[in-house]
Amino acid sequence: MQVPTHVEYERASSVDEALEMLSRAGGEARPLAGGHSLIPMMKLRLAQPELLVDISGLTELSYINVADAELRVGALTRHAQLLDSAVAGERLPIVHDAERVIADPIVRNWGTIGGSLCQADPSEDLSAVLAALRATAVIRGAGGVRTVPAREFHAGPYETVVEPGELLVELRIPLTANTGSAYEKVERRVGDWSVAAAGAVLTLAGELIEDAGIGLTAVGAPHFCAPEAEEFLRGRRAGEEAFTTAGQIAAEHSNPVADQRGPEDYKRHLAAELTTRALRKAFERA
Amino acid sequence: MTAPTITSIRAGRIGDSPQRPDGRQKVTGEFAYSSDLWLDGMLWGATLRSPHPRARITGLDITGAVAMPGVFAVLTHEDVPGRETYGLERPDQPVLAIDQIRYQGEPVALVAADHPETARRAAGRIRVSYREEPPLADARAALAPGAPSVHPGGNLVRHVRVRRGDPDARAAVVVTGEYEVGMQDQAFLGPESGLAVPAADGGVDLFVATQWLHVDRDQVAASLGLDPDLVRITLGGVGGAFGAREDLSMQIHACLLALHTGKPVKMSYSREESFFGHVHRHPASMRYEHGCSAGGRLVYVKADIVLDGGAYMSSSPAVAANAATLGIGPYEVPNVVMDSYAVYTNNPPCGAMRGFGAVQACFGYESQMDKMAAALSMDPVEFRVRNAMREGSVMPTGQVVDSAAPVAELLRLVRDRPPPPARDTGDLRSLPGGVSNTTHGEAVVRGVGYGVSIKNVGFSEGFDDYSTARVRLELTGGEPSAQVHTAAAEVGQGLVTVLEQIVRSELGVERVAVLPADTTIGSAGSSSASRQTYVTGGAVRAACAEVRSQLLARAGDPAAGSPGNRPPGLAGAAGLGDLVALLGKPAEATVTWRHRPTAPLDPGTGQGQAHVQYAFAAHRAVVDVDTELGLVKVVEIATAQDVGKAMNPQAVEGQIHGGIAQGLGLAVMEEIQVAGGVVRNPSFTDYLIPTILDMPPVRLDMLELADPHAPYGLRGVGEPPAISSTPAIVAAIRDATGIPLTRIPVRPEHLTATQPDEGPDPPSAMIMGRNAPHRVPFDPRS
Repeated sequence: MQVPTHVEYERASSVDEALEMLSRAGGEARPLAGGHSLIPMMKLRLAQPELLVDISGLTELSYINVADAELRVGALTRHAQLLDSAVAGERLPIVHDAERVIADPIVRNWGTIGGSLCQADPSEDLSAVLAALRATAVIRGAGGVRTVPAREFHAGPYETVVEPGELLVELRIPLTANTGSAYEKVERRVGDWSVAAAGAVLTLAGELIEDAGIGLTAVGAPHFCAPEAEEFLRGRRAGEEAFTTAGQIAAEHSNPVADQRGPEDYKRHLAAELTTRALRKAFERA
Repeated sequence: MTAPTITSIRAGRIGDSPQRPDGRQKVTGEFAYSSDLWLDGMLWGATLRSPHPRARITGLDITGAVAMPGVFAVLTHEDVPGRETYGLERPDQPVLAIDQIRYQGEPVALVAADHPETARRAAGRIRVSYREEPPLADARAALAPGAPSVHPGGNLVRHVRVRRGDPDARAAVVVTGEYEVGMQDQAFLGPESGLAVPAADGGVDLFVATQWLHVDRDQVAASLGLDPDLVRITLGGVGGAFGAREDLSMQIHACLLALHTGKPVKMSYSREESFFGHVHRHPASMRYEHGCSAGGRLVYVKADIVLDGGAYMSSSPAVAANAATLGIGPYEVPNVVMDSYAVYTNNPPCGAMRGFGAVQACFGYESQMDKMAAALSMDPVEFRVRNAMREGSVMPTGQVVDSAAPVAELLRLVRDRPPPPARDTGDLRSLPGGVSNTTHGEAVVRGVGYGVSIKNVGFSEGFDDYSTARVRLELTGGEPSAQVHTAAAEVGQGLVTVLEQIVRSELGVERVAVLPADTTIGSAGSSSASRQTYVTGGAVRAACAEVRSQLLARAGDPAAGSPGNRPPGLAGAAGLGDLVALLGKPAEATVTWRHRPTAPLDPGTGQGQAHVQYAFAAHRAVVDVDTELGLVKVVEIATAQDVGKAMNPQAVEGQIHGGIAQGLGLAVMEEIQVAGGVVRNPSFTDYLIPTILDMPPVRLDMLELADPHAPYGLRGVGEPPAISSTPAIVAAIRDATGIPLTRIPVRPEHLTATQPDEGPDPPSAMIMGRNAPHRVPFDPRS
């Protein structure tokens, strides 16, 4: 039996109330959304917040819609809802590729998009997806709303730029024409953490690559992306040669760490191969 | 508090597949496992374990723990009133560490408190001073002269020599190979748990999940300094075993705390603690040399097998004997030089796990059989068939195989199965990497491989292997009903169902209750070695025959004196009315039943009638490998197994599927990663077990070739599926990739150019040089 330490619990009925509760407790409060990360960490006493602010009833933060050529996803949207979204599936196949391989259906039914991102696990899939898509995070605090590019959202492993007293409220993903995307992940067994994964977004202008986004999971890529490989691809003719080289560049700039799931060299090898495959698939879909 | 009583009035006789009495409860979550045991006012026990694999204890201060509110007892080895050590074959393992630590996780002290968290935190306040010493982590190095000794007397636990024929035999074609097997875990789902209740007579009642109640009782009593009659053990609900519950875990600890505090004490390990709380499968390092005639007949096998037994003996001697006596596989080989060693190291203790020594050897000899077939340019199945053992063949021990040994037939059955359909690239689940979207068919190569195995059933080498059963027949509500009482552990294998089926068939009654297993009746032996249906089934059958005989005597039947003579009316459709008339008073019989004796091995030559029965299975694996990513999808397993008599065909099939899943795990997933004696992955997040999506369809041919020496002709079925499924899968991966693959589990980096599979444990060595990233042992996604 694993038992968390003593904790206060309050349930917020609005975002404003949640912000008020969070700021009142200073750095010792944590918002509780799906709870799939926080509760186990509390049981293991890796997290010992003094106050839980339950935001799971804030339906105002649970939505998926399109506005201003962006897909806007409320932070409290469940993984399963994003996976069910037709517009996400049609316009952003990379999102559905990733959602299909995030944990298992039970976790996806209750875990939230915002919670995943704020957990900031280096093996978490959506961080790389949103980096590849050059999405924007919308953060609210007592002082108002600020936006942060997905590529600047993480401050380190398990660390984000969301300050105590603030809430991640929305993600904005640009919807671009002539664009294809894909996400490919290697896991040792179904539902497991990534050994490595890569996402690719390609915007084409005829046969040329107008723009590219590459996201990398669990291989120590700074900010989950591969800017050198993206730079290499920009303006180049789309095709096998470009994709293979881009994969190699992405691997060179990744910095994986050996663990129970594989040695460094293998992970770097995966970074190259998966980047190439994701680019290939994104190109097919563009 | 009640122990799970398993009763059933469902119909179903031998050869039927009646519903398991515990099946619905387990599926719906109503089954009471040992971790669900509860008594009002009970205390919770916690164990303080050593973080170091090898150290001297230079100081121990319990005052911080004793001072905590809610703490009732803090115990160290000085509080063990009886024998300070225990062990299955030799008591070499301290109940609580005395002056030194021999493996990471060794218990040092115990706490009882009124809340599990209090107990755990109090354990954390015990101050232990360790002087660390470099661990002895390599089994072959442990055998080298001058190696530091883990125990007085050196590091060799047992050396089993088997010599047959000419030790200097020569052959036209020779292949050699070195093979390694990593440390597999039984990975049962129900962690070690139990409840000890102090009794008014100074004894203790222990409710616990175990495999062998009487051996637990004897070890607990010795360490408590109590007469064995004062230690009464009742089986709690068991959440899987696979060998890991044959040794003690929390049994003595909980009883010590209960007797010390005078209160019931519950202990229930966390998943992480469970990894340190039971023995694992022995890692093995093996060298084989096979010699063969140009025509494809095996001339000789020379082999040495080193089994890493870890810090304590457990059942290592018997594992070494199995590896030695079964180590050339189910083949006829006139000349054999086999040396098997079990060795002490500072790694986690290893002992019983499904397959018990046969698993490791099978990976070695089957890899060699493929290598030899390739050297001869022969088909691997044809080569095996040409050398296959049959009934009447002689084992390397000199023992004649005196019942069915259909090795060639099993191989032909799996070979002749139609191949599975071609890849469906539209269904990601059928591809390597599964739904992860990594391949749509690119870089995927298919391979096929074969394996065949031999396993002994029952305890060997002259062990007095018996079981005890009481059967009582009486009228309940005017209807005849039977009760069966044994100490045999239902560990999930379905024993209670089979015992019910036996009683229904033997006595012709429908209502049968299997009473909770406990030590108020004689020993049933262990639920291991694929033996329980054979031995306890045999005992129940014999008790039924006694009951029948009593009833015939009441009826004045002259056949009463010959219990084997089945009369009409007691096992047939008719005669229930007769039975009611005869059951004015209950009929009851208690029988101790033995299988035919075995004999020890000659220590110099390994000759002897060591085993009571042999079991055989063959596997064909078909795999798809993504050769660029190193990912394997096992597409299908075809298997054939001789079960002698399918007592419950559905249960047999379940055993076969489950064994194959465990064999698949060892082939490509499951390994306790140990580096310098330290376990790197003690969680189900990091110790990878196959899921239903990793498990392929199984095509099964079941043979029923009766063994005339066994009850109903049955043959133990539990272990063979887990033995040759592993080498078959590895052979299929070799077939797909052309990579030699000499180590299991095969890891993705072995299949890409990034990491050769040679050398001792490359992934662990890799981890040692770096800090593995922080990983919390659960699935933190929100």
